[in-house]
Amino acid sequence: MTMRYGRYTTIVVFGLIIAFPLLYLLSGSLMSFQEISQYPPKLVPSELIWQNYADAWEYLTPRTVLNTFIFVISVLVLQLAICLPAGFALAKIPIRGTGLLLAMFIIPIFLPANLTLIPTFIVTLELGLVGSFAGLILPVVGHASLGILLFRQFFATFPGGLIEAARLDGAGWFRTFFSIALPLAKPVIASYSVVTFLTAWNMYIWPLVAAPGPDTRVLTLALAPLAQGDFSNISPAVSFAAAVVAMIPVLLVFVLFQRWFTRGIVGSGLE
Amino acid sequence: MTDTRATQRIVTRPGAGNTPRPAGRRAHRFDVVAAWGMLTPAVVMFLTFVIVPALVGIGLSFTEWDFFRPPVFVGFDNYTRLVSDPDVWQALGVTIQYVVLGVIPTVLIGFMMAVLINANMPGVPVLRVLYFVPVVLSVAVSAVLWSFMYDPRQGPIAALFRVVDVPPVDFLNSEVLALPSLVLMMIWLALPIVIIFYLAGLQRVPEDIYSAAALDGAGTWRMLWSMTWPNVMPTTLVVVVLQIINFVANSLDVALIMTGGGPLGATRSLSLYAYEQAFMSQNVGYASALSIFQLLLIVGIIALGRVLGSRSFR
Repeated sequence: MTMRYGRYTTIVVFGLIIAFPLLYLLSGSLMSFQEISQYPPKLVPSELIWQNYADAWEYLTPRTVLNTFIFVISVLVLQLAICLPAGFALAKIPIRGTGLLLAMFIIPIFLPANLTLIPTFIVTLELGLVGSFAGLILPVVGHASLGILLFRQFFATFPGGLIEAARLDGAGWFRTFFSIALPLAKPVIASYSVVTFLTAWNMYIWPLVAAPGPDTRVLTLALAPLAQGDFSNISPAVSFAAAVVAMIPVLLVFVLFQRWFTRGIVGSGLE
Repeated sequence: MTDTRATQRIVTRPGAGNTPRPAGRRAHRFDVVAAWGMLTPAVVMFLTFVIVPALVGIGLSFTEWDFFRPPVFVGFDNYTRLVSDPDVWQALGVTIQYVVLGVIPTVLIGFMMAVLINANMPGVPVLRVLYFVPVVLSVAVSAVLWSFMYDPRQGPIAALFRVVDVPPVDFLNSEVLALPSLVLMMIWLALPIVIIFYLAGLQRVPEDIYSAAALDGAGTWRMLWSMTWPNVMPTTLVVVVLQIINFVANSLDVALIMTGGGPLGATRSLSLYAYEQAFMSQNVGYASALSIFQLLLIVGIIALGRVLGSRSFR
């Protein structure tokens, strides 16, 4: 019994240590300027200053929020549109050359994204896409290794009999894909979508080099200057509120789809 | 003539087995058309934005280019310059520090925490959420948060220092402490994913080995290190590779936002140096050579890891 309480205490203590920065962020986002700058630091605001959120919204601008949604949702939809059929074809249609294609798709998984940053930028520049939504979105969609391999893995473990039956009934591959494979792939689509949403929402470097202009600027770009000690004209509490605003959609997605997120992460580990 | 060949191909095709093909010879051609119909969009996007850039990057590493005037071929000049550039060696050292200081604690702490919260006790599933909290935060959001956490006057970490009577320093502007400070934040950001992997890995460890060990009188720590840890080795290998990639990749974003690579290059990794050369100094050729250099290092490390790994398993 004592061991049990000991374990509970340890779980809570370590959990609070890990969660502390976020709790501090939430609490600080509601403090007045005097309160957040005082020493020793206060942990709970004496009065909730909601005005910080209004100021933060004005700083981030609705345009930036909209841009972020356009970016993230386009990446997600286009990735699903190219990765799902490719994964299905690699797993289920017996043609030559799939081994070679698979090998090609696997390589980039082991390369840190920042290695491909400069060359990808150069190609995007030569295509005349820098500064546009197309230039922001398409290169991210093109780095599709993870999706293709994840879906191939899923379709490979797929009950083969179902596909055979559909084929014998005279359904073409496309028909089989849309009416048999896709509906059964819902769980893996959900997992991949959650992971991709979080990744795209949190991207910083690519939007910074590909489309930093005000018409295409995403939230992370608006936030970054607040971290560089640029607290002179903006209260840290407003910076915190801006960080919370930028975090709410991901937080919602994560809380609602936590189960799928867990599966997506482990599934992408190429086990 | 054509008919016989096609039939032969279908019969001898591996995997075709005894399944009768309703459409005869057309089935095979249709397979190819359908497969490429489904593969083409992905392959085209992949070639355009991954393979072509890789080749262009290799090509440009042999040139001098400023994004505007046409590139000038300079042979191996960029590579010889790179070897004698002291900033490259400093950045290489910094990159190694990011990886070593980051990956080892992340993996060990992640493992311990996963074991801790892998408990069938009421309430634990709810408490687990606390451990997953950082996963929703981007580098940009955490940078805002942690810059203030590290503030030497008002930040909570400075307050902790004062409690134990050590005067706090300006963490992010200290040549010694800036890098460990960034790494601490990166460990915190990476922990949830490592914990999730280990939770999945722990489920595959058979329960009965513990009861056997308990009968033999093994203590908790003993079981942890001689039973659980070896049993999750496959997970550990995956986690280590992913975290090396994560710390190399994130070192760019984190340092660019929080310290700009400073003070005096103390947090400037190879990728940040390449970024500066490309986007601030417009030395695209040199930046490409730096990327290729980094690529060769990583391929070398993975190859070395495979050789050592396969040896230790035999």
